[in-house]
Amino acid sequence: MKHDSRLAKKIAAGDFIVTAELLPQASTAILEIEAAISSFGNGITAVNVADNPHGPLLSSLAGSLVLVKAGMEPVYQIVTRDRNRIAIQSDLLGACALGIRNVLCLSGHHQALTGSPESANVYDIDSIQLIAAVKQMRDQHVLLDGTAIKGDFPVLIGAVAGPDMKPLELNILRLAKKVEAGAEFIQTQAVFDVEAFERWLEQARNQKITENTAILAGVMPLSGYQEAETLRDHYMDLSIPDSIIERLKKAGDKGAQKKEGLNICLETIRKMKKMDGVKGIHLLSGGKEKRVSEIIASLEK
Amino acid sequence: MIVAERKTIPELVDILEGHKKILVLGCGTCVTVCLAGGEREVSIISSALRIASRAKNLSFEIEELTIERQCDNVFIEEAAKAVERNDVVLSLGCGAGVQAIAERYPAKPVYAGLNTSFIGILEERGIWAEKCAACGACVLDQYGGICPVTRCAKHMLNGPCGGSREDRCEVRPDRPCGWQLIYQRLKSIGQLDRLKRIVPPKNWAPSLGGGCRVIVREDHRI
Repeated sequence: MKHDSRLAKKIAAGDFIVTAELLPQASTAILEIEAAISSFGNGITAVNVADNPHGPLLSSLAGSLVLVKAGMEPVYQIVTRDRNRIAIQSDLLGACALGIRNVLCLSGHHQALTGSPESANVYDIDSIQLIAAVKQMRDQHVLLDGTAIKGDFPVLIGAVAGPDMKPLELNILRLAKKVEAGAEFIQTQAVFDVEAFERWLEQARNQKITENTAILAGVMPLSGYQEAETLRDHYMDLSIPDSIIERLKKAGDKGAQKKEGLNICLETIRKMKKMDGVKGIHLLSGGKEKRVSEIIASLEK
Repeated sequence: MIVAERKTIPELVDILEGHKKILVLGCGTCVTVCLAGGEREVSIISSALRIASRAKNLSFEIEELTIERQCDNVFIEEAAKAVERNDVVLSLGCGAGVQAIAERYPAKPVYAGLNTSFIGILEERGIWAEKCAACGACVLDQYGGICPVTRCAKHMLNGPCGGSREDRCEVRPDRPCGWQLIYQRLKSIGQLDRLKRIVPPKNWAPSLGGGCRVIVREDHRI
């Protein structure tokens, strides 16, 4: 049994896939997660549970289990920043034992960029080594130290990509390595520069990467031009063109800007749907999960 | 070389408060070159401590001395008499120097006057940068002579992270992304194919993962 997830089945069936992201809180109130899940509705195939992107929050493992319990399929995110190979493999075994079937492997935001810059990092392994480790656990039933795993480990392996990372040659080389290591789906960073994304996708197609993995293009509704400027200035992995910021500015007051942000997002999704090599979208909201439901509702109209 | 920085005078005063006869001991090797603990810094720090002592009525009596290498017993001997006639030693050597002095004089308090920072080089006047993490299993041959363990904030061995952009590192935007340098270097020497290989997890045992490191050279043991 290689896979046992709805996401894997949808990828295999060629359906257009919609995934979303859930940002847990520094909270023990599971009700908050359940409320966020219910706001997503039925249009979502799987929900990523972020692994402490900005500092300590409820863990991605615990959040993923809440989703499993609620009948929603999680994508369990694992960053290599905070755990060494012992802890990561141990958590992976536990996650699989408790019903988690999708894993997203990433290095994670460096702790210097989180609310805990004074903490030590681990980075025992990098994201590509994590992908390869999960694949080894699944396909060969052995841990990195050679210990045999009892029972099935039927997880779907995902990774991330940043279409805006330059130079393109290095970007694609890294993407190709992730897929070669075992990434069966790729969720991209939020795309705002659609033309740059198309150039990236074309390179991925040329190297037959899109045939060997499912690209889920990241999209994110912007709330207004100020948010857009903050994201552009603080996250090197996001490229927001001036034309988008101008469009938001011209929209008018905050309410109008929010609406325009949603329009831009919907336009981007419609363009993505037509692109050869895009198998779906990944809805990012930076913790504003209600905005995801607005997008889903608008798409279904 | 080993690069270090001076602790601040208030920090040193805190460390030394309660002691009277203090030997400020400099080192003539790495920390002299990086302008942290050589003869010149011994003089400056001693003067500052004397001023602080007068201002706070601490009655410090400070002697100054700089030896060639604090991490070498042959040179440490040169400090024996000065160490004996003082109550404590404020070492301006690196962490190895401080501990070598402390081991040689077990009955004498020895304090570190520097923060030992890294193995690096002088990049330009007044700027020192880390180049080696002393991981114990050098991979420079695979990366065009640029170390991903040291120069990537995440020690990534298979390529850059998503925070690499326009030659800058997301963690330190004032510094180049180590991976962009590796890519450019391998491209210019015709070895870009090296980057296509999936590098397995690194064995960190020769690094700090194995506890205090010791090298035994049987051919040099008598």
